[in-house]
Amino acid sequence: MAFRIGIDVGGTFTDCALYDDDGGRLTIAKVLTTTQDPSIGVLTGLDALLRGDVASAADLSAAIHATTIATNTVIQRCGPTTALLTTKGFRDVLVIGRQKRWELYDNSIDKPQHVVPRNLIWEAPERVLYDGSIRDPLDEAAVRRAFEEMKAAGVRAVAICFLHSYANPGHEKRAAELAAEVASELVVSLSSEVSPTYREYERTSTTVLNAYVTPTVAAYVQKLEEGLRERDFSRRLFIMQSNGGIATTDVVQKFPIRILESGPAAGALTVSRFASVVGGGDLLSFDMGGTTAKLCLIEKGRPALTGQFEIDLVNMKKNSGLPVSIPAVDLVEIGSGGGSIARVELGMIRVGPQSAGSDPGPICYGRGGKRPTVTDADLVLGFLNPQNFLGGKMRLDAEAARRGIEEHVARRLGLSVEAAAWGIHEIVTTQMAQAARVVSVGKGKDPRNFAFVPFGGAGPVHGMRLAAMLNCRRVIFPQGAGVMSAIGLLMAEPAFDLVQTRVIRLDADSLPTINALYGELEARGRRQLAASGIDGDVQLRQSCDMRFAGQGYEIAVALPPGPYSGDDLEKLREAFFATYTATYGDRAFDRTAAIDGVHWRLTTVAATPGIRLEQTPPGRGAVPSGRRSIYVPERAGFVESPVYDRYNLGSGDVVEGPAVIEERESTVVLIPNSRATVDALGNIVVDIHA
Amino acid sequence: MRTVDPVSLTVIWGGLISTCAEMGVALSRTAYSMAVREGLDFSTGVFDPRGNMVAQGDDSPGHLGSMAFAVNRMLEEYPRETLHPGDAILCNDPAIGSGHLPDVYMVTPVFLDGALLGFSVCIAHHIDVGGAGSGSQVIEGVIDRYQEGICFPPTLCYSKGKPVPEIFRIFGANVRVPEVLGDLRAQYNANTAGAVQIQDLARRYGVEVLHAAMQEILDRSEREMRAEIRRLPEGVYEFEDWIDDSGPNTPPIRLKVAVTLRDGGIEMDWEGTGAAVEAAMNSYWNYTYAYCLAGMKSVLLSSAPQNAGVIRTLKIKVPLGSILNPRHPAPCGGRNVLNHRIYDVALGAMSKVAPERVIAASAHFFNPLMGGTNPRTGRSFVCWEVIVGGVGARYTKDGIETMTTPYNNTNVPIEVQEHNNPVTIEYFGFITDSAGAGKYRGGSGMRKDLRMLADNWNFYNLGDRAVTPPYGLFEGRPGALSATVLNPDLPTERVVNSKGKYRLGYGDVISWRTSGAGGIGHPFERDPAAVLKDIREGFVSREAALEHYGVAIDPERMTIDEDATLRRRRPAAAAAASTSRSFISPSPARSTCRRNSNRER
Repeated sequence: MAFRIGIDVGGTFTDCALYDDDGGRLTIAKVLTTTQDPSIGVLTGLDALLRGDVASAADLSAAIHATTIATNTVIQRCGPTTALLTTKGFRDVLVIGRQKRWELYDNSIDKPQHVVPRNLIWEAPERVLYDGSIRDPLDEAAVRRAFEEMKAAGVRAVAICFLHSYANPGHEKRAAELAAEVASELVVSLSSEVSPTYREYERTSTTVLNAYVTPTVAAYVQKLEEGLRERDFSRRLFIMQSNGGIATTDVVQKFPIRILESGPAAGALTVSRFASVVGGGDLLSFDMGGTTAKLCLIEKGRPALTGQFEIDLVNMKKNSGLPVSIPAVDLVEIGSGGGSIARVELGMIRVGPQSAGSDPGPICYGRGGKRPTVTDADLVLGFLNPQNFLGGKMRLDAEAARRGIEEHVARRLGLSVEAAAWGIHEIVTTQMAQAARVVSVGKGKDPRNFAFVPFGGAGPVHGMRLAAMLNCRRVIFPQGAGVMSAIGLLMAEPAFDLVQTRVIRLDADSLPTINALYGELEARGRRQLAASGIDGDVQLRQSCDMRFAGQGYEIAVALPPGPYSGDDLEKLREAFFATYTATYGDRAFDRTAAIDGVHWRLTTVAATPGIRLEQTPPGRGAVPSGRRSIYVPERAGFVESPVYDRYNLGSGDVVEGPAVIEERESTVVLIPNSRATVDALGNIVVDIHA
Repeated sequence: MRTVDPVSLTVIWGGLISTCAEMGVALSRTAYSMAVREGLDFSTGVFDPRGNMVAQGDDSPGHLGSMAFAVNRMLEEYPRETLHPGDAILCNDPAIGSGHLPDVYMVTPVFLDGALLGFSVCIAHHIDVGGAGSGSQVIEGVIDRYQEGICFPPTLCYSKGKPVPEIFRIFGANVRVPEVLGDLRAQYNANTAGAVQIQDLARRYGVEVLHAAMQEILDRSEREMRAEIRRLPEGVYEFEDWIDDSGPNTPPIRLKVAVTLRDGGIEMDWEGTGAAVEAAMNSYWNYTYAYCLAGMKSVLLSSAPQNAGVIRTLKIKVPLGSILNPRHPAPCGGRNVLNHRIYDVALGAMSKVAPERVIAASAHFFNPLMGGTNPRTGRSFVCWEVIVGGVGARYTKDGIETMTTPYNNTNVPIEVQEHNNPVTIEYFGFITDSAGAGKYRGGSGMRKDLRMLADNWNFYNLGDRAVTPPYGLFEGRPGALSATVLNPDLPTERVVNSKGKYRLGYGDVISWRTSGAGGIGHPFERDPAAVLKDIREGFVSREAALEHYGVAIDPERMTIDEDATLRRRRPAAAAAASTSRSFISPSPARSTCRRNSNRER
């Protein structure tokens, strides 16, 4: 017997999914997240699943985990005292940043505060030039002194980031040796290992954050492994990385910065499997929770990746956070969720970005929330069942929601409560549709051609309207939407990203250089996998960030497998042209212009068993479990509509909108002119008729 | 006129703003030049059928204020009844557009079934429009705008969906790089994408409701802005400040304003401002208006909608022939050196009526260009830098360290600069004691040293505040002066002009030291703990702490020497305390000191 378990720690719940590799059976459990020490919740969830099933921890072949521990450490600034050692003359690179404003006219804004203050930044006399040559040798005595001083200042972790170290890591490596001699208790992160790409501020920021989260993540991982060992679990614990691949705990303890976007990456991965349902086309995943909604574009079955993102943003504003140069699933986050607060401004309804979150939450939760939210509006409109929220675990106070909307919105605008509630619903949905349009247009995609995949607590409530606004014709409400990330963990492959920045002009003479560079990266990747005890088939994915010579920014181009010989030069150039056209639109450019490769990337991917979910039994025709009035704007009022229990629907069952399908974690609201069919795996696939 | 229900109005308003964002995405995605694609040096807008700006993307203040006027002037040449679906008009006349030739406007009428819905508009900074030097922004020695490149008055460039070939041929023949024509096509793409969204709104809500909503948006925006203006006492508030010069051995230039707040409106009168100069740094009226509006918006309502409703609340009067309203054909390529000072003077005037809403003067930037032959490639290079110091102190907190104000930009990564050009950066960091002292101090000045590894290269400097420092407010001190130093710490060291043109040799180093930003409030009122933190982090020296802030530090223990601090800050109280020490404990002055620190923490 072989079982695998996926455990995803979210803000409120820790989701667990147990998969039987032989029988294809999936069992899920949801327990409360233990914020103080999340490992407690993880082990509780594990115990809950193992108690209920035939499996014991000894039967598990792998445990795969997504965690917010690294993110929380940065956002709450609860890491240990961390220092930076950098090149003499450049102490202030980290404090200066890129100097961009994140609000154009507001003079009360502040700049993101980094985790290392200026007085914990030391300088080392040394200088490497752009081509990796050494102009000034490393002053070892000064470096020793710096580490002595750090020790005296109570520093626990240190980032070492010298200029151009991606081209020549020698000085950083030597400094690390000196650290081991002088202050062996220091945790050391080297920029040439963490993020060997050029642009010194972004690399320094990434390395400093890596050092900062290392002690906390390492302690957490060790605690978790200990708990697993106590339960006779003897196999490997994997942790989800931001790039959608999983890594062993030894890698994670060295490069914990790679797990910042652990959970969302797993969620996007789950959605990507629906690509086959829609014939390999593009998908837009839409995860709407209490405070924000996250959108991710899935192209040809793979989540779009970005080479850089920001953490700890203010109001989701670009440039207000700390940059991280690590490959990650490209998420667009907007400040619209079930808890978004509605108010009247300039005689109009405004929704968000302020949120009541889950504490105090919407008025209808009865936990002291006083301001009407999107969830309150959804309740008044009949979309939510006050008796059956979270599978009946929570009662909602519809009367209080009505009063809140009446007092704060309806009365001020001379509207009925229902009209005001519909206004809130429509406005928040429109905001998300606009954000989704900008995301897709920015990637050169027409949203009409997407299948739309809503999940999260509020996603299915708003998903149909949103899809209709975007003129999407197909919407998929996945089976297990409440534990999407936990399921995604079971599908993830061990993957390790390697990168080397070197500006190389793409011509016949440079092919041997490129081959040598990839050979080096591959050897490092294989060593990494071997050290992690991962064997079997390894797939290599090569890509390069390229640009026309003279341009300032690069685009990521997937490359055919190497090594390359003379004829392949054209293939590499064609790969660039194809990506260029896809990114910037279809039009003429100079096909003879010189091309530079800048960041050379290699991802090693090991095979994973994946999951084959069991078939949903055929249905015998959908039978409503009840009826209730829901607001249907097309009919200018409330319409008595059938309510279905998702767990009573079988494959092939058909439901026509308007209707409501209730499940434990959310509610699907079907609009008129839509027809839902349950597929063989229990997913609800909806077609919207024009 | 139809009325609009609040939900439709919200959705239409959001839709128009989102249309601008989508146009911006379409423009940056299809543009050729890096300035547009990565520098995002463009703006987009939606106008009503009468030529009123209804919505605008959140892009550049210099484009924001000028767009509303530019489109009206362009439509004067092309009356609405002469326009057809698919037409586009372009214009880069500095006196009509955004104040210099590289900024090119394009306006497209939007129709649905024969009805004019409005206009989609964009402006993009083109990387070259011809003229005396690459990039079309040479400052010194340029005496009129004819030397600065090709100028298009309002000109039809697309007719019924097809490019006008003559215009593209003429434009192409007058610029150094072919990307410019690609960027023009990208601008047309953006306007077309905008048109589709506006048509979509008209189909969903009907033309009448769309137009009623546009009207309502302008009226509500105007009402909101006027209500904000009415919160402040009516009156006339004056301020003046100086630009150092317009090149070596030229006199300083005064910028002077009288701001009148009356009846919920603002009038800014620039009488007393210096005359236009024979250097490419004159600010045409539209550009002046843009930064007047940027200043007022930041003081009054930073979230104010960007449309003609808000613009109705601000009138400006600028003497013709002055540096802020030059006569045609004054040269103007480097007019961005003035945006800072227009903003400083506007906020200085508002400090007299709304002290809690302004900031002290920010450090002025340097935006130099270096050019020559790159020995690595044998080809010519243009190396561009932007060196930015701190933001002025706020009424309740310190200024921001090194952030662009009032415009938006990023610095050039050191490693990228060294890859692309024959240079090494030798230093990049804060200047200790450069921040204007105050209860709340300004942001620090910044120093950047660049060594050129090429022979016989040209250096075109562009900066300011080497003569008149950024002001402080309410007893706060000004920031330190700026300086441009050649070959620092060598026998050949010399200070050069902030707008000069120099020819230099291999290995020469330029060291830019920006000014510091001004402080707010008397420095003796600053929380000693904040001063100690600044000393620890190296922003303030111990000597300056004692002299400017009156805070004495015990150098051994790195703690505040409270007695010595009291003696410096309040000598009289200290003397009284020492003679009556046995009677009063703790001394009142000391407890004041503590109270301050508690309050501000």
